[in-house]
Amino acid sequence: MTDTPDFGRRRRWLTDSRRTHLFAYALVVPVLLLIIGLVAYPFGFAIWVSFTDRVIGSVGKFVGLANFEYLSRNATFGAAVSNTIFLVVVTDILKLGIGLGLALLVNQQLPGRGLFRSFLMLPWAMPAFVAFLTWRVLYQPVGGGLNLVLTQTGIYPHVIDWLGQRPTAMPSVILASVWRGFPFWFISILAALQSIPKELYEAARVDGANAWQRFWMVTAPGIRQVVLVTALLSSIWTANAFEHVWLLTQGGPSDATMVFPVLAYFGMQTQRIGEAAAVSVSMMPVLIVLLIAVTAVMQRDDER
Amino acid sequence: MKSIHLSGFNRARRMVVSAAITAALMAGTSSFAIGQDQPYSGTQLTYWGGLIFSEDANQLLSDTITKWGEANGVQTEVVMINQNETVQRVSAAVESGTMPDALDLSLDLLMIMSRQNVFVPLDELYNRVGEAQGGWYGSIDLATDTTEIAGGRTGLPFGASGNLLLRRTDLLEAAGFDSAPATWEELVAQAEAVNAPPVSGLGLALSNVGDGNVQASVLQSFGGRIADDTGENVTIKSEETRTYLTWLKDAWDRGIFPPGNATWDGAGDNQVYLSGQTAFIANTGSVGIAARNDDPELYEFTAYSALPAGPIGTISPITPQVRAISATSDNQEAAMALLEHLSQPEFLREYYKLAIYGPVLQGQAEFEAFNGEDPIHSGLLDLVQKGTAPGYPDVYNSAYADFMANFIVPKMAQRVVIDGWDFDRAMDEAQAAGQAIYDKY
Amino acid sequence: MSVMKSERSMRRNSGSGASERQRMIVGRVLSYMALTIAVLLILFPIYWMVITSLKLPREIYRVPSLWPQVFTLDNYYKLLFDEGFLHPILNSLMVATTVTVVSVIFSAFAAYSMVRFRYRFKGLIGRLILFAYLTPGSLLFIPLSILMAQLGLSNSLQGLILVDLAFSVPLATWLLQGYFRGVPRELEEQGLIDGLSRMGALLRIVLPLSAPGIAAVSIFVFTGAWNELLFALVLVSSESQRTAPLALNYLITSDVLPWGPLMAGAVISSVPLMILYFVAQRFMVQGLTAGSVKG
Repeated sequence: MTDTPDFGRRRRWLTDSRRTHLFAYALVVPVLLLIIGLVAYPFGFAIWVSFTDRVIGSVGKFVGLANFEYLSRNATFGAAVSNTIFLVVVTDILKLGIGLGLALLVNQQLPGRGLFRSFLMLPWAMPAFVAFLTWRVLYQPVGGGLNLVLTQTGIYPHVIDWLGQRPTAMPSVILASVWRGFPFWFISILAALQSIPKELYEAARVDGANAWQRFWMVTAPGIRQVVLVTALLSSIWTANAFEHVWLLTQGGPSDATMVFPVLAYFGMQTQRIGEAAAVSVSMMPVLIVLLIAVTAVMQRDDER
Repeated sequence: MKSIHLSGFNRARRMVVSAAITAALMAGTSSFAIGQDQPYSGTQLTYWGGLIFSEDANQLLSDTITKWGEANGVQTEVVMINQNETVQRVSAAVESGTMPDALDLSLDLLMIMSRQNVFVPLDELYNRVGEAQGGWYGSIDLATDTTEIAGGRTGLPFGASGNLLLRRTDLLEAAGFDSAPATWEELVAQAEAVNAPPVSGLGLALSNVGDGNVQASVLQSFGGRIADDTGENVTIKSEETRTYLTWLKDAWDRGIFPPGNATWDGAGDNQVYLSGQTAFIANTGSVGIAARNDDPELYEFTAYSALPAGPIGTISPITPQVRAISATSDNQEAAMALLEHLSQPEFLREYYKLAIYGPVLQGQAEFEAFNGEDPIHSGLLDLVQKGTAPGYPDVYNSAYADFMANFIVPKMAQRVVIDGWDFDRAMDEAQAAGQAIYDKY
Repeated sequence: MSVMKSERSMRRNSGSGASERQRMIVGRVLSYMALTIAVLLILFPIYWMVITSLKLPREIYRVPSLWPQVFTLDNYYKLLFDEGFLHPILNSLMVATTVTVVSVIFSAFAAYSMVRFRYRFKGLIGRLILFAYLTPGSLLFIPLSILMAQLGLSNSLQGLILVDLAFSVPLATWLLQGYFRGVPRELEEQGLIDGLSRMGALLRIVLPLSAPGIAAVSIFVFTGAWNELLFALVLVSSESQRTAPLALNYLITSDVLPWGPLMAGAVISSVPLMILYFVAQRFMVQGLTAGSVKG
């Protein structure tokens, strides 16, 4: 990385004057104000609300940890915890596998690879709302594309109720999320692959390493960092995402696909803002851990 | 091809624009000349209507409001809200102080929100409208009384909906069933007789949507209760509820429910019926109209009846729809005048022909819509006259409305059929979740 | 090129050019097959969206088929003319464009400041930006709608733009930081020596050199604003202010889902983005990853 500390130079830049300093602050202030006003303040407000029994139309009073205590007794909340973790881990693994595989294929010197690259990125270009509605049409037991393909090609003769039964509901949500989310992995890994110096491969070849060994000796270390950061980001996105589950199953059947954001939205629907906020807030510790991990990994990256 | 039903917002927008122009012209040219007969001249009103089935009904409502505005020098804006989102929309609007002057909403939402003094009392208007049109139906009158929680009546009923049982006569007659099932057992028997993939016999929703709450009525008709007579203590765990769950589990194990019925949204049962893949559904009647427009053959083979009975009789709650005026409105007088205008027979006579609502006032039974020619409207009239009050036999209060809004009964049903929990465990969870809700009131 | 060269040198080294060549051809064929299968699988949902939009309702619900028996543009006609879908598309275009331009300007300034200068609280500010970017929207929508009401911006595109900025600016700042780090400091110093001001160095040297990154960030922000549904749902009610996803959402009234027009709307609202991605995918790979992943 280029941002290696160089004190001599930096001192010369800094000693220039207070003007540089002011300039630096002036550049960052608009963004700072925006974040304080539109994120930090509402965020603080939401945390406060999670400690009140606020319902729509009344301000509510401070109730301490009552909302959290109520949630902890709630079976659906437990389901949301385990489902969210399961969804995040499994989609990440699948996206890694698919993204890495496709990136390796496209990274070869194949004529027409640009075309493949474009096609492979299409799911990401679809608006989430549109993408998941389309998947719902695909999963429909009646007239859904997926069942139609399976029955007409004779792969599986019976209509499968993809979203309506416990064994298939979560896998179906995962499939749709992976479909829409893998291109980010694919692009990230592809870029990392392209930044690996070709000489390293050549050297490995000269040393007599086979393809498998070259992958572990050269490719894996070269993309490790990128995969790590992508995994963290993707985890946070998936944990925060609302549309996929909402548009496909609304958390059902029973609580088979209930996740945090959907549970929070249900709290809104039943007008109990205090509880809804508590759901979101109780998700924060995990997010903060992931966040610290992202920062740490990237700082380490900077230092190298 | 006729439209299934779309919101028609383009037309509505043009109407609003033209109304605004007209109002502006009128305000500019004649505001003081006709000041006396236009007491609300120059005011602005925003109205949120609920998008309902039949685009024409939505259009008539918005046209009528616009015309009233033009005649009275009031600048009106009509926004039609998707009913799936009314709760979130109204919630956000209350919280952010952006409520419209007047709006349509369900009784459940009115009951939950009236406690927070979000709406103004309308008793005088309510009585005046009632007296002019033969009096309110008893069940409607009783159900919409919010005096205890809001110090007055906050809702002005304008239509009643509820569930009818729709059945496919072609399939059922071929199997030898000429009449509607009278009990839940008969329903299962008939459904099972015609259950042959891809047709599923029994298209009842078990999901967390309004349609899923029909299960609460089934539970109650088996003698189960949500809470005791004080309306404070949840009593859902009972032998009667166990009987209901036994019936449900038995029906489920017979494989007569359509795939996906535990995750359906509000459109799920309609869709499965319109696709010809179920013999029975419980519906407000919108499916019938959709079929009439898009699939006349299916419409031909559809018959309507009341919900089947359980051991204690039929529980078929009437669901009144109401209009209310926001307490934060600056133009409450004008809004009241508008609501009164919308309660006049001249408007409702036409409106009922297009909307799938039963009457709320006894005088309205004479309307052409209810003359017996249209089976759906006849069914709705029948429902209003013979159906049960909301919540009955339970006490209908805010806690009950909240209980329903949390879909506790369909969730309990899902625990049994989807998760395979035993009845006690499912009932215990429903009992605890329900009591937690009741304790908040 | 370098791979070709290495292939050649390899061949020389191994001395078995023919079998090496054969292996390469087999490898290529397999690669193409794998890629083709992947692309087909990936395109199937998109195919389904398109054909559903071209079907009559009866065919969608009652006699589904993999290929429409009757092609119809009814759904498009209905959506564009009966429903006036063009207006929400224009609204979306306006919101997304404004959000993109403002985000890129604000973020470029902030990112430059964060990358090039060292001052107190910089670490804190950096963390705040990252944190802001990762805060769940479902947590913020009620407080934000209250805030918008207080500012008198409820039910307006301006309010929506402001809220969208809250999510896009942290993201854009963060991505651009990564990109600016890749601009050699020496070039900038040279510019300063040549008499450019700091601002001049940013505008004349750093920004042009980061053009692919800025393109990628713009596309990313544009997509985000174009897609946004949750906040539009909460903030906007009037027809005149609806965005494309919101207008589509309004097609879903309480009972019957009009899949035909919905999928027609899906096609119309994704096609512009797909073309954009298709054309700009090279930038996306270069720019986006340089920013997001190398942080």
